[in-house]
Amino acid sequence: MSAQSALLEETAGGVGEHLNAQALRADARRESLRLLALLSPSLFLVCAIIIVPIGWLFWLSLFDETGALSASNYARFFEQASYIKTFVTTFKVAFIVTGACVLLGYPLAYMLSQLPRRAASICLIFVILPFWTSVLVRTYAWLVILQRKGLINSWLIDLGVISQPLSLANNLSGVVVGMTHILLPFLVLPLYASMKTIDTDCLRAGMNLGAGPVATFRQIFFPLSLPGLASGVVIVFVLCLGFFVTPALMGGGKVVMWAMRMEQTTSLYSNWGAGAALGVVLLVVTLALLGLFRWLLGARATGVWSSR
Amino acid sequence: MNRTSSFKAFAIAGLAASVAVPAVAADTITVASWGGTYQEAQTKAFFKPTADALGITIKEDTTNGLDDVRLQVTGNAVKWDITELGADECARGSKEGLFEKLDYGIIDKSGINPKLVHDDWVGISYTSVVLIYRTDVFGDKGPKTWADFWNVEKFPGRRALSSSQSTETLSVAALASGLPIDKVYPVDIDGALKSVDKIRGHIDAWWTSGAQAMQLVKDGEVDMASIWNGRAGTLKKEGAPVSFSFDQGVLTADCMVIPKGAKNKEAAMKALAMFVSPQLQANLPLYVDNGPVNEKAFETGKIPQERIKDINSSPENVKKQVLQDAGFWRDNLVEATEKFNNLIQQ
Amino acid sequence: MRQGGTGVALPPPSYVLPAREKVILSIAPSALPIGMRAIEKRFGSVSVLRDLNLDVAAGEFLTLLGPSGSGKTTLLMILAGFIRANAGSIKVGDDEIITTPPHKRNIGMVFQNYALFPHMNVFHNIAFPLKQRGVATAETAQRVEKALELVKLQGLGERRVDQLSGGQRQRVALARAIVFEPRIVLMDEPLSALDKGLREHMQIELRALHRRLGMTTVYVTHDQREAITMSDRIAVMNAGRIEQLDKPETLYAAPKTQFVAGFIGESNFMPVECHDGTVWYEDRRIHTATPAPAAGRHLMVVRPEKLRLVTPTEPSNGINVFDATVADIIYQGDSFVCYVSLRDGRQLTLRDYCRGDVLARLPAPGQPIRLGLEAQDTILVASEG
Repeated sequence: MSAQSALLEETAGGVGEHLNAQALRADARRESLRLLALLSPSLFLVCAIIIVPIGWLFWLSLFDETGALSASNYARFFEQASYIKTFVTTFKVAFIVTGACVLLGYPLAYMLSQLPRRAASICLIFVILPFWTSVLVRTYAWLVILQRKGLINSWLIDLGVISQPLSLANNLSGVVVGMTHILLPFLVLPLYASMKTIDTDCLRAGMNLGAGPVATFRQIFFPLSLPGLASGVVIVFVLCLGFFVTPALMGGGKVVMWAMRMEQTTSLYSNWGAGAALGVVLLVVTLALLGLFRWLLGARATGVWSSR
Repeated sequence: MNRTSSFKAFAIAGLAASVAVPAVAADTITVASWGGTYQEAQTKAFFKPTADALGITIKEDTTNGLDDVRLQVTGNAVKWDITELGADECARGSKEGLFEKLDYGIIDKSGINPKLVHDDWVGISYTSVVLIYRTDVFGDKGPKTWADFWNVEKFPGRRALSSSQSTETLSVAALASGLPIDKVYPVDIDGALKSVDKIRGHIDAWWTSGAQAMQLVKDGEVDMASIWNGRAGTLKKEGAPVSFSFDQGVLTADCMVIPKGAKNKEAAMKALAMFVSPQLQANLPLYVDNGPVNEKAFETGKIPQERIKDINSSPENVKKQVLQDAGFWRDNLVEATEKFNNLIQQ
Repeated sequence: MRQGGTGVALPPPSYVLPAREKVILSIAPSALPIGMRAIEKRFGSVSVLRDLNLDVAAGEFLTLLGPSGSGKTTLLMILAGFIRANAGSIKVGDDEIITTPPHKRNIGMVFQNYALFPHMNVFHNIAFPLKQRGVATAETAQRVEKALELVKLQGLGERRVDQLSGGQRQRVALARAIVFEPRIVLMDEPLSALDKGLREHMQIELRALHRRLGMTTVYVTHDQREAITMSDRIAVMNAGRIEQLDKPETLYAAPKTQFVAGFIGESNFMPVECHDGTVWYEDRRIHTATPAPAAGRHLMVVRPEKLRLVTPTEPSNGINVFDATVADIIYQGDSFVCYVSLRDGRQLTLRDYCRGDVLARLPAPGQPIRLGLEAQDTILVASEG
């Protein structure tokens, strides 16, 4: 039986619907099921490595060390002033490091995006190169450079610029330098990628229509690079919030960030819930901030500006 | 089993199922310690001779401390037959009922400080917190006592103390406030905190690991610091311009336990008896700066005379130091550490 | 106006621009002429433009036509200031602009992919050049509105660029290029992304807009039909040179080179010999309307529609007649195409409209026929090998 005659027969059978409507709907359903099947490994992974552990973390945070349902893990934040201090420090460091990454990374990404392809890919290797070294090694390297008898202080003293060594390590500035170095590629790569997609003709059009180089940059290039900048900023900021090794080594114990506090708390109270509560608070505040960020960008998008 | 731990048990059950512990022959035990050069020394001093003598196999593992033991015991997935812990951890774990009772019919406790002999844990070695200073800054007129360390006018310079080892720093602070070594315990926590409050503005770095303390002193980032004697000894051997002594040192013991539900309890008991015996204890200072916990080790003649004065637990040196009281910290650790953290993180 | 001109100001072209119907924008009071002299451009060792000279009259619609790689886009980019020439001069009116940065040239441009700013809506795209010139807000709104009206997009100012169809984007790009009343507008294959129907429609609109506003326009395309439809004059470019610059009808009727003949319209090429003032194809004397060129080998260009079927009885005096055989005939509705073979095997194409009298005697494949070519329809060009 040919396909055509089969179709004809179905109508003749009085299905009472438009020709083959049912078969076509079934076909569409099968197609979406197949898509779902393709997605299922990643959905499973997301569920297994993100949703379940976070749910578990949240659950644990509700019990004290005796196993009783209690808010004591959360009450601690308000009873002990140092938690608030740590929280503020964490966000302060995250803001400063993100700012430093933007200041250093934007011009770098811009330069990379303007270079010829071959030169750009060579320079990109240098941007990515630090990824191949462990965070620990890079942090110690900065210690060697920044500490009291480190390279910078030795040079400055030898040159007679300063007589007493500057305090560059074991404080906030050391933490910021170390973290900025590690996080810079996370800003540069998405930013560079988005800058590469900016149509050169748009910039030419800007100049053609009377905007000088600065105006073209400000009114066209910069706004078009914003989505890339935004994703870079979000990545860097969120990574900052969870940093442990660098502040622990570069901060000299005076810059205590949230992750360090989690480690302290977990071992002090012999109770997962204590650390879990810190994790939950950080997660909630971070999500709230990201939501705010999105909302701010969204507000722009509905106005004059629109995202691509 | 309490509620929290039942969740842990649940989580660990999956882990255990996937790692399917093979049936271990009775003549094989697993011992966990801190790893690194310390554990290498233990292997040579304790584990190898014991395995040879008892005709058993000793497998080694490393631990991060009490949390690991708690996880294994509450999760019914005990991998270790013996594990090393800090003395205050032993005291806490004992209170939580995480360990098997020790059989002092098998283990000979003579020669071990009674403060380190308990129903379910026994001391294994000593570490000291000592005051180190750089001789290129102070010559031989550096700070000798913790009171000197606290005296910022007489001894200007950059300072480091430990923030992670709150109990040790509190003992140091108590000594700095002028208490003689036999009056430190029971620690007046508020008094010690007041002492910390006096110095904290002058601390340039709070260290959280032995390696970090060593690096701070070695690179001249600080001029004086509290440091573990093992690290201090290493610095001196490397030729760094430093000086330290055991005067007013804070002696901290490590201990060993048999986790509750260990698979090879009997073999473990025999092995542990060997570890703390004077003969094997005397081996330890031949490889590492941690002192033997059994003072009879110094009578075996194994340790060269000129070495004895450098060992923190030699009868001579023990007199100069305060022994950390594990029982005291078992009951006061959380509160004291909370207050300590709040103070130094202000 | 020939390439290699002397640089002396040339008289305006002989044709008359249609009167402007209505001045919508207070367009440049007088459109300005462009004079390009001795433009050289090399990319590395590759010479893209060689000693190029071109004059565009004020208000003229001039098209640069050529295959890809002929240098037409490079020339446009040099005009706009996006590419720096290695040598040469560009004068707009009396002003030398060869070193003027693009944003000070006051030249409007429509890009091939429109280059609309994706982060701005239609209004702000069009207002952009006015904003750069510090035009007041109220006036900006007014002028943008007029520009939108001009390109028939009234009321779409608030639309986002990605909500527009291809044709609408094209119009926005156009509005943006003219709203600031530039004296010169450049267009780089602006219609190439549109489908055929829309493209032909836009050709007519663009032409009409040019007539209304009268700005000097340089248009780049590789589509000869588009060039013929829209241009006052066409510069046919090949390998970095202008092969011929003429009105469309002149280019078609009197191509000067084989390349131009081949590029503009369809052509049959027949090799001919010239000697003693006569022209010969094989052993046949060809009647020509113009005096025969210098002795030697030449090419005769024969447009398919200039060939016609000749009845056997028709006298052949004064016209060239070739005997041939029909190879195939293709009916195309309004016209038909007939592929024939001469006796020497040469293939020619003939095209004619489907008028009744022609259809009545349409030959069948394999049938012998006679082809007629009027003397005035013969075109001779140099043979390029």
